Amino acid sequence: MLIEWSVVQCFTERGGDPVATSNGNTRGPAVAAADPLGEPFLQTRLAPPGRPATFLRRSRLLEHLDQALDTPLTMVNGSAGAGKTLLVADWAAGLGQPVAWFTNEAGDQGAGVFWAYVLHALQAAGVPLCADIGCPADASRVDHKLLARLADELSGHDRPAILVLDEFDRQTAPQTAEQLEFVLHHAGPGLRLILVTRTEPLLPLHRYRAAAAMTEIRDAELAFTPDEAADLLELHGLRLPAEATRALVERTRGWAAGLRLCAMAARESEDPEAYLREFEAGRSAVADFLLAEVLKRQTARTQDLLLRVSVVDRFCPALAEALTGRSGLEPVLAGLYRQNAFVEDVGHSWYRLHPLFGEILRAHLRARHPGLEPELHRRAGQWLRATGALPEALAHGAAAGDWEFTAGAFVDDLAIGQLFTGLRADDLAELFARMGPEVTGAAPDVVRAARDLAEHDLERGLNHLRLAEEHLAEEALDPALRLSCVLLESLAARLTGSPSRAEKAVATAEELRHEVPAHLLDKHPELTALLLTHLGSARLWAGSFDEARAALSEVAGCPSGVATALPRQDSLGHLALIDYLNGWLGRAERKALAALSETEQFGLHRPPGADLGRLVLAAVAVDRDDLGQAQALLEEAADSAPAALDPVTAAGRSLVAARLLLARGDPRAAAAAADPAVPADVASPWAEVHTALVTSAAHLAEGRPDTAAKVLDDVPYGTEPAYAAELAWAQLAAGNRDAALDLVDHLRTRSRTGPGVSVCAALVRARAAQEAGDEATARKLLARALLEARRERLRRPFLDAGPRLRHLLDTPPLQSLAAGWLTPGGPAPRAPEERAPLVVEELSGREREVLVRLAQMMSTEEIAADLYVSVNTVKTHLKSVYRKLGVNRRGEAVRRARERGLM
Amino acid sequence: MRYEIRIDGLMSETLTKAFPELDHVRMSGQTVLFGRVIDEAHLYGLLTRFQSLGLRVVEMRQLPE
Repeated sequence: MLIEWSVVQCFTERGGDPVATSNGNTRGPAVAAADPLGEPFLQTRLAPPGRPATFLRRSRLLEHLDQALDTPLTMVNGSAGAGKTLLVADWAAGLGQPVAWFTNEAGDQGAGVFWAYVLHALQAAGVPLCADIGCPADASRVDHKLLARLADELSGHDRPAILVLDEFDRQTAPQTAEQLEFVLHHAGPGLRLILVTRTEPLLPLHRYRAAAAMTEIRDAELAFTPDEAADLLELHGLRLPAEATRALVERTRGWAAGLRLCAMAARESEDPEAYLREFEAGRSAVADFLLAEVLKRQTARTQDLLLRVSVVDRFCPALAEALTGRSGLEPVLAGLYRQNAFVEDVGHSWYRLHPLFGEILRAHLRARHPGLEPELHRRAGQWLRATGALPEALAHGAAAGDWEFTAGAFVDDLAIGQLFTGLRADDLAELFARMGPEVTGAAPDVVRAARDLAEHDLERGLNHLRLAEEHLAEEALDPALRLSCVLLESLAARLTGSPSRAEKAVATAEELRHEVPAHLLDKHPELTALLLTHLGSARLWAGSFDEARAALSEVAGCPSGVATALPRQDSLGHLALIDYLNGWLGRAERKALAALSETEQFGLHRPPGADLGRLVLAAVAVDRDDLGQAQALLEEAADSAPAALDPVTAAGRSLVAARLLLARGDPRAAAAAADPAVPADVASPWAEVHTALVTSAAHLAEGRPDTAAKVLDDVPYGTEPAYAAELAWAQLAAGNRDAALDLVDHLRTRSRTGPGVSVCAALVRARAAQEAGDEATARKLLARALLEARRERLRRPFLDAGPRLRHLLDTPPLQSLAAGWLTPGGPAPRAPEERAPLVVEELSGREREVLVRLAQMMSTEEIAADLYVSVNTVKTHLKSVYRKLGVNRRGEAVRRARERGLM
Repeated sequence: MRYEIRIDGLMSETLTKAFPELDHVRMSGQTVLFGRVIDEAHLYGLLTRFQSLGLRVVEMRQLPE
C-alpha cells in the first residue's frame, strides 16, 4: 500500500531516487538561514541592546577597543554591572560595518545549540557563509568537521567577521571554549572574536597574551575615574563638588552600576548632596542598599510591576500586563526605560531588566511576596503559550511546577517529535525529567512514554504508552494528543518488529491529521517524517521492500533541515539496506554515503541512521572483498551504538558480522554471530534467510551437507527474488542441483533485483552447466556475470565459487575479463560502459587545492605547510574529499577526480 | 564541608534571604555568611550567586568540622 495522504507541503511528491534531492537546491541558504530553533525572540538576542540617554561614552575605552580589529581575541571582562555590554554595543554601533552579536542565556544547553546560534548570528550579520557548512542538529554536540568548514570559510574572506559573544559566562558546555579556540585559530585573520564575560573563559589566554594577539579590558579599566563619574552624574542631572565625586568613586570603586544607582537615588531625594554624603559614610553593600533605596522611591504600582517582571528574561507590555493583571502598561515601560530605571530596551518593543538589578529584584520579590513566584511563572507560561512561544512557555510551566499545563502545552503543540529529533531534544528531556510520578493524565503519560522510548527503555515506554491510551479511551480527547500517541505507536511498532501495528498507527494518523490545525503540521515536519520512517522500518523488517521504499523515499525526499535531519538520515540508511538486499551494490553505497553525509552535515551521532549507513557500507565492502575496510566500518558502527534495540539495525549488524566472518574463513563464529536475537512480533524473511544461509554454510564447512540442505529446505521464502539466488547457490553447494536450478528458473521472470542477485544466479547456472559437462555454456554464463560484476566491483561470489569455476576464470577469454579487478595482472581495463557515478556534493575550493597537491604526490605535512594550515585541517579536508568522491584512498581520489574532470 | 564567606558591606535582610541555606552575622562593615556547603558544585554556585547580586567576596575559608 502506498501512502495515500500527502505529507506536509514541504515534502516533495517524487518517488524516485531520494539521493538526487539531497545535493541540489534543497540545501540552499533559505534552509540554513531559518531560525534554528524556531524561536520568536531570537532576534532580541542577535542585536546589541540600545544605549540609554544617560549612557556616557568614554573615548579611552573605545580607543582601546579599536585594537580588537587587529587581534584575533578580545576579552571584556568585568563584574556584573561594570558596563561591559553597553561599551561593546556602543563601539559596535560606531564601527560602520556589521557585527555578529549573540547574547548567551542560561537555558541553552550543549555545544550543538551554541554553534547553531553562532552560525545564525554570523548569517544575520551578513557574513557570507556557503550552505555547505551545515548546521548542528544534535543539541549536545557539534561535528568537528563542521567547525573546520566554518573556520576554513572564514579564513578565505577578505574582511574579517566580527563576532561578539555577550554574557559568555553563561555558556557552560565544557567543550565550547575548546571549539571556539579551534575555529579562532584556524580562521586566522578571517575572524575577530570579542567575548563579554563576568568570568575568565577557558581559552588558553596566556598564549594569546604572550603572542600579543589579544585585546583585554578588565574591571580596573572599566571603573569610572572621578572625572568620568562627574560627567555621568551630570547626565543624570546632578552636579557635585569634585571632592564629593571623588569620595563617591572611592565608595563605589568606580563601579558603573553603583554610580548609576547613586545618581538615581540621589536625584529623588530632597538634598542629593547630603544624601550621598550619608551613603558614603555608610557600610552597606552598595548595590543591595542602593537598589532598595531606588525601588522604595518608585510608586507602589511601579514597584509591583518591577518585582513581577523580574521572573521573566524579557518582557513586552502585554506580558507585563498578564503578570500584573493591569492594563495600559506600554507608556509606563517606555517611561521606565527613558528614566533609565532598571529597564533596558532590546528592540521590537521588548524590554529586559538589567541582569544585576533583575537578580536583586527577584530577591526582593521572594522576601516581599513569598509564594507568588510560582503563580507568576504560571501566568508567564500561559501568556507565552498563547502567543506561540512554546519553549519559553514550557520553561515557565516547569518553573511553576505546573506539569499538567507544561505537558499539555507540549503535546497540544504537536511538538512530541522534538523529543526524538532536533536541537531541543536534550533540553526537553531534561526539563521533563523533573516531572514527578504523582502527575497523572494523558499528556504527562504521553510525554513519559516518549522520553522512555527516546532513551531506548522499551518496556517502560510501552507501559506508559498503554497508560496514556487508557486515558484516551476514557474521554474523547484532543486530536493533537491522539496524534502524538499514534507517533509513539508507530515507534513502538518499529521497535517490536510489528508492521501491522505500524500500518494501523499510520491509518489512524491519516484520519487525525484532518482534525488538527494545518499550521501545526507545517510547523512540525519532524512528526510526519518520523511516522513514515518508523512505518518504513517496520515494513522493511517484514520484507515488504517496495512498500517500505515508498514510505522511506518520501522522508528522504523532504528538504534537508535541522528538524528532519535525523529521520532523513535514518530513512536513507534504510533505503541503502533495501538496495543492498536487492543486490544493487552501487546504489546502496551511494545512499549509505548520503546518509553519512547527512550525519556530517548536521553533526548527528545518534543511531540508528548513521549505524545503518555504516553497516551497509561494510556489507558492500565484504562483497567487494575489502575486508579490512568492512571490519573498520563495523567497529565504528558498534562504537556509536552500544544499545541498538531496533530490529532492523540489529539484524543488519549480525548480517554483516556473519558475512565478514564467513569471508574470513571462520564459519563456526559466523554461525554464532548470525542470529540477531531480537524479539519481534513477526519474522523477518531476509533476516531468517540470512541466518539460514550462514548456518548452512557452517554445517557444510564442517562436513554435514545433509544438515546444511535441511536448514535451507526449512526456509519458506525461496520464491522471493532477493533471496532466491543466494539460496540456490547454497543448495547447489549442499548438493541439491535440482532444487538450486528450480530456484534460479523461478527468478528469471523478475527484474527488480540488481547485479548482486543476477551474478549469483549466473554462477549457479554456470556451475550446474559445468557439472553437467557443458563447459561452453558455463564460460558464456561466466563471461556475462563478469561483465555485470565488474561494474559493481562485486568480487565475493567469484571468490566463493569453488576451485573448478575459478579454474575457468584463469583461462582465456575469461582471464582478460577478470584481470585487473578480480584477479591480479593485466592493465586495469576501463570498461566502456563504466560511467563515473555522479558527484554527490561539489568539492569546496580548499578541498580542490588539497586534491591538486595530492596529485603532485605531496605528503599531508607538505600540503599543510604549503597551504599554511595545520596537518589536522588537511586531514579533515582529505576526509571530506574521500567522502564526496566515494573513495577510501589517495590514489583512488586522484584517479576519480581526473575521471570526472575535477582537476 | 562548612564554610565561612565574608562579603564586603552590610547586606540587607532581604538579600540575605537569597541565601537561605546559610546563616549570617553583620560585623565591622562586613557580612559573614556561614554554614554547610554540600559540595564543590554548591560552592561554585554560591560564588556565581554572589557575583550576580553584585556582592564582593573578600574572604572565604573552610571551617574545621
